[in-house]
Amino acid sequence: MKSDLTKAFADYAKDLNQASRDENIQKAMSRAVKSYRATTDETMRRFPHTPDLAAEVREIKTRAIQDNAALLQEAMASVERNKGKAFYAKDAQEALRLALEIIGRGKVVVKGKSMLGEELHLREYLEEHGNEVWETDLGEFILQLKKERPMHILSPAIHVPREQVADIFSKFFQKEIPPDIAAEVGAVREFLREKYFSADVGISGANVVAADTGAMVIIENEGNVRLSTGAPPVHLLMVGVEKIVPTFQEAMKVAEVTWRYAQYGVPGYVNIISGPSKTGDIEKVTTYGAHGPKQFYVIFVDNGRSQMAGDERFSQALHCLRCGGCMYECPVFQVTAGHFGHTYLGGIGAIWTAFVSGGLDEAAPLLYTCLRCGRCVERCPMRINVPGMVGELRKMLVYGESLPGEDLPEAAVAGGVSHAAET
Amino acid sequence: MAVEMKLPPVLDIIRGNIVKYGNPLALKGSEVAAWAKGLKLPKEGEVLFYTGGEYQLLPFIDSLVKTMTHIDQGSKSFSLMMGVRNILDKAGFNAEKVYASVLAKDRERFNSVCYKAAFVLQKLGYDLAYAGDEELYSGALLYELGFWQDLKEYAPKVRRMIEKTRAKTVVCLSPHAAEVLKLVYPKMLPGFSIQVRTFVELVWERRNKLPAISSAPVVIHDSCRLARELEVDEEIRDILIGAGVPVREAERNRQWTTCCGGPGKLLFPELSHVMGSRRVTELEETGAETILTSCPYCLAALAGGQEKGDKTAVEDLIEFLFRGYAA
Ligand code: SF4
Repeated sequence: MKSDLTKAFADYAKDLNQASRDENIQKAMSRAVKSYRATTDETMRRFPHTPDLAAEVREIKTRAIQDNAALLQEAMASVERNKGKAFYAKDAQEALRLALEIIGRGKVVVKGKSMLGEELHLREYLEEHGNEVWETDLGEFILQLKKERPMHILSPAIHVPREQVADIFSKFFQKEIPPDIAAEVGAVREFLREKYFSADVGISGANVVAADTGAMVIIENEGNVRLSTGAPPVHLLMVGVEKIVPTFQEAMKVAEVTWRYAQYGVPGYVNIISGPSKTGDIEKVTTYGAHGPKQFYVIFVDNGRSQMAGDERFSQALHCLRCGGCMYECPVFQVTAGHFGHTYLGGIGAIWTAFVSGGLDEAAPLLYTCLRCGRCVERCPMRINVPGMVGELRKMLVYGESLPGEDLPEAAVAGGVSHAAET
Repeated sequence: MAVEMKLPPVLDIIRGNIVKYGNPLALKGSEVAAWAKGLKLPKEGEVLFYTGGEYQLLPFIDSLVKTMTHIDQGSKSFSLMMGVRNILDKAGFNAEKVYASVLAKDRERFNSVCYKAAFVLQKLGYDLAYAGDEELYSGALLYELGFWQDLKEYAPKVRRMIEKTRAKTVVCLSPHAAEVLKLVYPKMLPGFSIQVRTFVELVWERRNKLPAISSAPVVIHDSCRLARELEVDEEIRDILIGAGVPVREAERNRQWTTCCGGPGKLLFPELSHVMGSRRVTELEETGAETILTSCPYCLAALAGGQEKGDKTAVEDLIEFLFRGYAA
């Protein structure tokens, strides 16, 4: 087979050039970079133990990725013990099919921000199947209305200034919303509040999963995740298999490092969810669905991750905490924002694109945009060697090699993980 | 299933030139070595002075990029043009004719960087050997662009070239050459153990012998490779401060240095230019009058990133140190 990428490169170069001339992007990015660096410097001074903790988390993640298959079994068993339902999806199709089976059609769904959701095109899929789905993260909500993809993993609408937001909102809410941030936030709050309490299902991702307890840790600031996962009668949590670590205590360490490098001293909220809501207050009889969801589902998604885990050159890409720090330091990202990316952004995003979200040809232009300058490695709490992996993938590209694991039969790719616990 | 990908042709052109001609732009050995004519450097000796042809090809890269910026790389005419050049000129193309736009003064400037580097090192008491027109490019771009198999086949040629000089130490002007010789070659060539140093390190060792340089404040642009892979950054400060030069620091420096955008030049020339300009701005914010770097690609990218009429000078550390002797 032959695939001609010259046109893709040319189109992509045009897109990058355009982005680098876009004043909104330039304004937003230079503000964002400045404030990221200042806040991070300040938080690191306030919490000077952070770099040591990051080193510890590197060890934790390295071991966890090595033992991923066993940890997945343990985590699934823990979820079931907690009266949740656990599923394993080996690829995107399976993940979407499972989600649709759980949700059904004609439902109202509120959704928290999740990169995995972007990877799977979850919202679009559920909408196509007759559901009304609302992004509840403010940035993602803006993009949902704007019909655009996220431009940063943490601040998806990093490139949209308030004036533009006011235009979009005025159109959508069919009333004048002034270009005032508080007023804009207020309008969304009012609109979504009603959705949380009328929704049939709430969907979220998770930042870390503790295998021993089945505890899912979700870091957030807006409070939208609390409401999305707390108010509807059903909570569906979808998470990549790489997020599992052995114990609850280790999960806390991972969480702290994640938010610290995402420039928070401490985030507004840290949600820990391990099962459906329950009470034993009447006659000590356990009853589910007290105030929160009665049903709790978890889908662990592989979709190329065990392929990465199985190759020592690339397994470190799975250590990524999605703190987003590297992007602020990337000279390309600084001028193009998420245009340097596919679903996953920046240099690390190029690696993830190759394995989980598009394949080598989709990743090719991204792989050659990376300058291999290495500043992301300086920032990365996991010290992920992105330039090294970019080199390896370029090598595969120029010699027409397949990604590791791609020539293997399916069973081997899944790393011996059973697709158990379907109900 | 393996899928053969058709990538932008410039990649394969660079690869082909290195493999066939020992130089990314197929410059002739005699052209690469022209700077050394008057010096009569021996072909054998303990310390091998290694230019890798990188400063010499700078003025040509810029013309190449200018050509590319105006022609869609995906288009037929581009591949045709590059292809013709590559196929017809089996003996290496006559660069002057093809790139009529290359200014003689640029060629002279970049060629003389090599001369100045040799001059400074000799003044510091180093006896240098030089392979002359037999010198080959290091292959750093093969590594950079993913042609690792080609590098594996190419590297032994470079090794033979080096070993023929009986050198124990190779002193590289370009940090890219130093990186590939020091960190990549040993993995590909069993027993390759020659000591690899940079120009900066050699100067640093004998910095006490440098003449004082009177200069307005300078700012150092750390090259990514030098600062991060080779961990050479404090040395440049030591050298300059020792020579009495006032040094200003950019906000992003040493291992946090901002890339000049140079590596993107071949495939994304416009974007590369934007990044170069931004770095120039960061450096100029210090109020320094001269920007100093120690890498051919940084030098070209930063000089190219300057606004018209910009008063700040962009120089290589080599050129700057040479001034100490010229004064
Ligand atoms: S690669 Fe490192 S810095 Fe970038 S998002 Fe992942 S953990 Fe954070």
